[in-house]
Amino acid sequence: MTIILSICVAVVFAVSLYLMTGRELKSIAMGVFLLGHAANLSIIAMSRTPVRHEPQLLKGAPILTSGFDAAHPMNSIVDPLPQALILTAIVIGFAVMAFLLSLLVLTSRKAGTLNLEQLGAVATQDD
Amino acid sequence: MKLENFIILFIVIPMGTGVIGVFLKERVKIARVLGVMSFIATACLAIGLLINLRSHPTGILVSQMGAWPAPYGISVVFDSLSGLLLAASSLVALACYIHSFSTVEPVAEKRYFHPMVQLLMFGVNLAFLTGDLFNLFVSFEIMLMASYCLLTFGGTRLQMTQAYKYVLLNLVGSTLFVIGAGLVYGMTGTLNFADLALFVSERQAKGEALPPGFAALSISLLLVFGLKGAIFPLWFWLPDTYYTCNVSIAGLFAGMLTKVGIYAIARTFPMIFAVGDSDARMVVMPLLAVSAAFTMFLGVLGAVSHHNIRRILAVHVISQVGYMVFGLALMTGVALAGCLFYMIQHMVVKSCLFLCCGIIERHTGTDDLEKSGGMLKRDTYLGVIFFIAAMSLVGLPPLSGFFGKLVIIREGWESKWWLSIFGLLTGALTLLSMLKIWGYAFWSPAAKPIERTPQNMPNTSSLRPAYVGATMLVVVALFLGFGAQPVYDIAFRAGNQLVNPDEYITAVLGPHALDNLAKYRQEATRLAAVAGVEVMP
Repeated sequence: MTIILSICVAVVFAVSLYLMTGRELKSIAMGVFLLGHAANLSIIAMSRTPVRHEPQLLKGAPILTSGFDAAHPMNSIVDPLPQALILTAIVIGFAVMAFLLSLLVLTSRKAGTLNLEQLGAVATQDD
Repeated sequence: MKLENFIILFIVIPMGTGVIGVFLKERVKIARVLGVMSFIATACLAIGLLINLRSHPTGILVSQMGAWPAPYGISVVFDSLSGLLLAASSLVALACYIHSFSTVEPVAEKRYFHPMVQLLMFGVNLAFLTGDLFNLFVSFEIMLMASYCLLTFGGTRLQMTQAYKYVLLNLVGSTLFVIGAGLVYGMTGTLNFADLALFVSERQAKGEALPPGFAALSISLLLVFGLKGAIFPLWFWLPDTYYTCNVSIAGLFAGMLTKVGIYAIARTFPMIFAVGDSDARMVVMPLLAVSAAFTMFLGVLGAVSHHNIRRILAVHVISQVGYMVFGLALMTGVALAGCLFYMIQHMVVKSCLFLCCGIIERHTGTDDLEKSGGMLKRDTYLGVIFFIAAMSLVGLPPLSGFFGKLVIIREGWESKWWLSIFGLLTGALTLLSMLKIWGYAFWSPAAKPIERTPQNMPNTSSLRPAYVGATMLVVVALFLGFGAQPVYDIAFRAGNQLVNPDEYITAVLGPHALDNLAKYRQEATRLAAVAGVEVMP
């Protein structure tokens, strides 16, 4: 499972890096969004059974019924903390994505283009 | 009432004011009063707590959110380091906020300007207080989100063609931060700073190696924090950013944003990543030293070459960040104290210079040095303020910058003398660039009689808030210069606690957290004594 996830992470990273090398702001923005997804996937790939601290609530309170081994609860439970991290990161990612897209809309209205070279030219015109 | 319970107010007050501010969109007066009160409240709270902490045995206050014990819940930690930074940042925010009353366009002010400033400070305060790595990420995001909005306020074409650089760059930085935080958790099983410090110290006391890749991880986090802090290879975003936005906001950014990145390095590296003789320390220390030299020197060269006041000041931010990185690169208790002092004095002084620049722009209608002049004759008071702030930045003896540089350069003289030489050289060039502004804008006669168009007509009654803001910061800067001793007492405590995190760990994780560590240390001492080897205490 970890292998598959790692391959997924690698592919998403590669695609996002490819997109970010483009000269259009739209494609760069898409690349950045994909980078966020790759980060979240990589956190999933890193999560496993708790290594340092056992989650307190889970002691003696089975929340998974199938395959739950009461004697060794930690063997059948995935660490919940990375999931919480990802959830937070996704929510923040949404907000930033919305902001960036609206910024791009405004930029294209003001500058008339989203191409990086032309944007640079427009910026120096103003000076 | 326990002192610990006050800590959360640093986060709740700006957040609450920000949320209320959203509903006060049209009622600008009320929003202003509320905002000023919020910053005064946090500043008073920070100073009050700092004074109380002088007699506290460890000087560290910890509040566990929801009473969850430390590594599981969210810890909010107020120690000498956070306290000094919170006090300085609240005062700077207050001054810039008051200054903005006379520079922000009335239209922009009604478009959620007030809530955004509050939310920016919410993020900054949370970053200074949080006790774990993931919350640091969240607070960075809150702060950055507000800064994106403030950066594009007004929506002129110049802003719109420059803003995307800052936004995209920080997005990539944040993504790297998430990956780094995830990797830290995957390797160590914890994100709490105190618990991470304990993890590393225990491993080292036992003589075990740290997880493979820990050094690489620390480098990637250094990259992220360095990007926010604008250290040497990562500072390219800064001059363009501070050039385009409203001048009060530029002052606020110059005070806050880079310092949060430096704070993150100061918080995590001496305690966690660069402890003892780990691989990470071997890699990070030379990196930081080289970066400090380049940041100081190239930054100031850039400043000397520019010809706009705002650009000079913006590029100077980079050069001054170099001194802070210098302090970090030495990573002794004294050097970290110097770094901390330099950080707070730089926040105050640099913001003050930006605010003065705002007033100059209002008088002359431009910030181009060629076109301005004769300011001293037109406005002697502004000249006095600017001169004090500029000389503080340069570091002339009775003023605040001197005490920051003195401690860092003296501490560096023995181990990294070449860095100290760079520091002194940079100081001389800083003087040159400040005198350039002084000579062109204040001393030289006006280039031509300034036409009184309605746009550049100096309306001094509307400039009153601007003078109030700049004066406040000069008073604080003078206090930091003449009252350096009490501030340094607190800073030295902070520096020592960063280098010896035992007190921090006990305060956050509880009194028995160090039991295992003490056992391992005794064991190591015993083994070493058996082997007949001298052990450093």
